[in-house]
Amino acid sequence: MPPAEQQQAVVEVINLHKYFGDLEVLKGIDLKVFQGDVVTVLGSSGSGKSTLLRCINFLESPTSGEVRIAGRPMGVRYDKTGKKHFESNRNITKMRSEIGMVFQQFNIWPHMTVLENVIEAPVHVKKMPKQEARELGKAYLKKVDLLDKMDEYPARLSGGQQQRVAIARALAMQPKVMLFDEPTSALDPELIGEVLEVIKALAMEGTTMMVVTHEVGFAREVSNRMVFLHDGLVEDDGPPSQVIDNSKSERCRQFFSKMLH
Amino acid sequence: MDFENLKEVADLSLFWEYRYFLLRGLAYNFYVFFLSATLAISMGFLAALMRMSQWSFVRPFGTLYAELFRNCPEYVLLVWVHYVMPLLLAYLLQAKVNFHPVVSAVLGLGLAYSGYLTETFRTGIQAIPRGHLEAGRALGMSGGLIMRRIIIPQAIRQMLPEIMNQMVSLFKATTLISLISVPDLMYQVSIVTQQEMRPLPLYSGAAVVYFLLILAISNLVDLFSEKWRTQYLTR
Repeated sequence: MPPAEQQQAVVEVINLHKYFGDLEVLKGIDLKVFQGDVVTVLGSSGSGKSTLLRCINFLESPTSGEVRIAGRPMGVRYDKTGKKHFESNRNITKMRSEIGMVFQQFNIWPHMTVLENVIEAPVHVKKMPKQEARELGKAYLKKVDLLDKMDEYPARLSGGQQQRVAIARALAMQPKVMLFDEPTSALDPELIGEVLEVIKALAMEGTTMMVVTHEVGFAREVSNRMVFLHDGLVEDDGPPSQVIDNSKSERCRQFFSKMLH
Repeated sequence: MDFENLKEVADLSLFWEYRYFLLRGLAYNFYVFFLSATLAISMGFLAALMRMSQWSFVRPFGTLYAELFRNCPEYVLLVWVHYVMPLLLAYLLQAKVNFHPVVSAVLGLGLAYSGYLTETFRTGIQAIPRGHLEAGRALGMSGGLIMRRIIIPQAIRQMLPEIMNQMVSLFKATTLISLISVPDLMYQVSIVTQQEMRPLPLYSGAAVVYFLLILAISNLVDLFSEKWRTQYLTR
């Protein structure tokens, strides 16, 4: 593998600021995620973790700074004179389809069966033939171990199963990177394991991903990099063992000592 | 109370005698109903979209539209569209304008009910959780696609009983169009009444026909839509 500096980053975040009204939630974030990276993002609530993910796929538009996906600026374009413009909705939409996202609240569509949920975007966004999409959808449902539920409506599924459908749905678009926004926070404790197992399996296969999570043990196990956010800034960034056990940051050490004891 | 009169109320043979003539009237009720329902649903949906627009300057127009037509009695609106609007148009276009009674009926009822439906559509669409839209956006779906594939299919299932109520009211309101001389069932009944001088069986007949029709149709719609509407919610 070439050294990181020469590689094209899959996700590059440059001096990202985000305000909600007068409140500055992100205060200048810089971050690079490379092919095959599993980056976990930790931090106390209100530190800007979710906002960071939502800015990366432009569900929130950054106030300033930039996000690049495989080198292309997300949501903005530059004209010949170098002036910055907002990208058209059509192009933002197109770039979003290259970024998978899994939400805390699953957000599975209840009026569609499990398989219909998974093939919706491949069929209607990518214009994939329906039969081909069904085969693809089944393959991903098999991956999350829900093939037997493909014709059920989501209301008949547990939270853990719904979240696994959401993961299959995001994967079916074959995105360059997967973003997980606290994927287990809304689950009953006994259902967390099955979802973490699926994410772990994806990580082992080399899926590039960013995971916002509170599961320290999981984060230590699966990620090759951990980013600790505090108050809208990257407080520490490095291998999980270093961030969790030997951080130079006082805040980071405090956070983990509270989490682990 | 004259017993003969009372007996006459229930004697529908006169109504039966004129059945083809009266049926032609009923056809007008259906004709005007379908056209004004189409107008009401499309305009109501448009006004609902305006009320929810991301551009704030558009929203007041949607609100104004809905409030204007929702708070104006159907009968007043019918008369206004039929007698006043042509005059205004004639002044604007500097030409003689006349509305065919059916056109006025469709416009008047369609606009009135689009006002009611605006609110039904708006609340129905806003009841869909935001997360469902965000999931669509995150997958690269466009706004139109999300509306068509995610929002409307869910919203319509929730709104259907309310929309059906509005449609029943609209069908009932089609009996008002005889007042601007559309030859609907009520209009035909009044014509036969003038000839036969026996209003009681005719009006009873009209009441029974309307009652049975509306009852049958709304029950049929319930019967066929209930499973489709709720099956996905059952655990």
